[in-house]
Amino acid sequence: MSLRLPLPLMTAIVSSALMQPVFAHEQAGVAGGLASGLLHPVTGIDHLIAMVAVGIWGAQLGAPAIWILPITFPLVMAIGGVLGVLHVPLPMPEVMIAVSAVILGIAVAARLRLPFAAAAIVVAMFAIFHGHAHGAELPRAANALAYGVGFVTATGLLHLCGIAIGTLTRWPAGERLIQGLGAGIAAIGCYFLAQGVGAFA
Amino acid sequence: MKLNSARLLIATAMLLAGGSAAEAHIVAARLGDFYMGVVHPLTDLQDVVLWTATGVLAGTLGAAKGRWLIAVFPLGLLFGLLLGQVFGAASTQLADAAMMLAIGLLLAAAAQVPTVLLCAMAFAVAVIRGAANGADLAPETDRLLFAAGLTCVGYAAITLTMALTAVFKRTSSDSATSWRAIAVRALGGWIAAIGLMMASLALAT
Repeated sequence: MSLRLPLPLMTAIVSSALMQPVFAHEQAGVAGGLASGLLHPVTGIDHLIAMVAVGIWGAQLGAPAIWILPITFPLVMAIGGVLGVLHVPLPMPEVMIAVSAVILGIAVAARLRLPFAAAAIVVAMFAIFHGHAHGAELPRAANALAYGVGFVTATGLLHLCGIAIGTLTRWPAGERLIQGLGAGIAAIGCYFLAQGVGAFA
Repeated sequence: MKLNSARLLIATAMLLAGGSAAEAHIVAARLGDFYMGVVHPLTDLQDVVLWTATGVLAGTLGAAKGRWLIAVFPLGLLFGLLLGQVFGAASTQLADAAMMLAIGLLLAAAAQVPTVLLCAMAFAVAVIRGAANGADLAPETDRLLFAAGLTCVGYAAITLTMALTAVFKRTSSDSATSWRAIAVRALGGWIAAIGLMMASLALAT
């Protein structure tokens, strides 16, 4: 028995499935700023995987990286955010963000053990690019403080999420899982890198 | 029987006629301005972040240093309220951001701030926020009641935040790398980052 739907009904179903909410008002005020700041770091996959990868790598590196990164990372990212808000140009920001996902993913997959200072410099450089992108895309209508609170909280929580995942390294199976996750992050980073250099255009 | 019913009806009618609106909340009554002073800072994110940051910084430094703020902070709020009345409304966004950045960095660095500097910073925060709270008051607001409410909530908030932080951090027994100390330092890093972003947004606009 073949199920044949009439064309108008089919069109209606497809239209309903693809529809998105219409926002009559731009997100504004404290609530709008908070929501926008909280959602901004988690709605971009390239940002999200890089933030989580930083946390996982920090956990793999152990002390002092595991506790210095959560303290300093949001601050360094905010410096990048300041550059973005003030429209200070950085070279190839989208490509660098994709590169950050590739390199951090490889670092996690390969259990790369750099000296702490070198790891901190790599992470700080990427943090500035990520912060710059968020700052440049900041909604002008949003409440400045509320946006900052939401943005920093979401970034910090993503980072902590990575650290929590990174604690799986205590078990051999968990270590394999994390290395696989690192490879996945690097692969997604490669996709964004290809997109960034215009390979899909 | 009929007479009793008539009396009952008259009594009910009189009671209903003489009834006035019951007010479950006394915000609209004479003391409303006191409650406005209490609630006003709690509904402003700038107050919440800065007051919390100040209380946490004082709490991490221990009771001996922090206890001065119990008097300094409410007095600063009063002084700021007075300044706000005299000089009128002015944007405190950049000053707020600078204080967030400074307090956040001190927390993140786990710096041993001297008592005098702690008191000076807390007084500055209180003056800035007191002025901001007092700047947008309506002409009919009872200034005295509002000031009393603001001072009381300032005293309660700073004391409570300091006490909770001191209990959480266990200043005397914990090392600098215990998870509690790191959590407080990470919170400081977040506050500094928020201040930095807020400053840039204030400058950009």
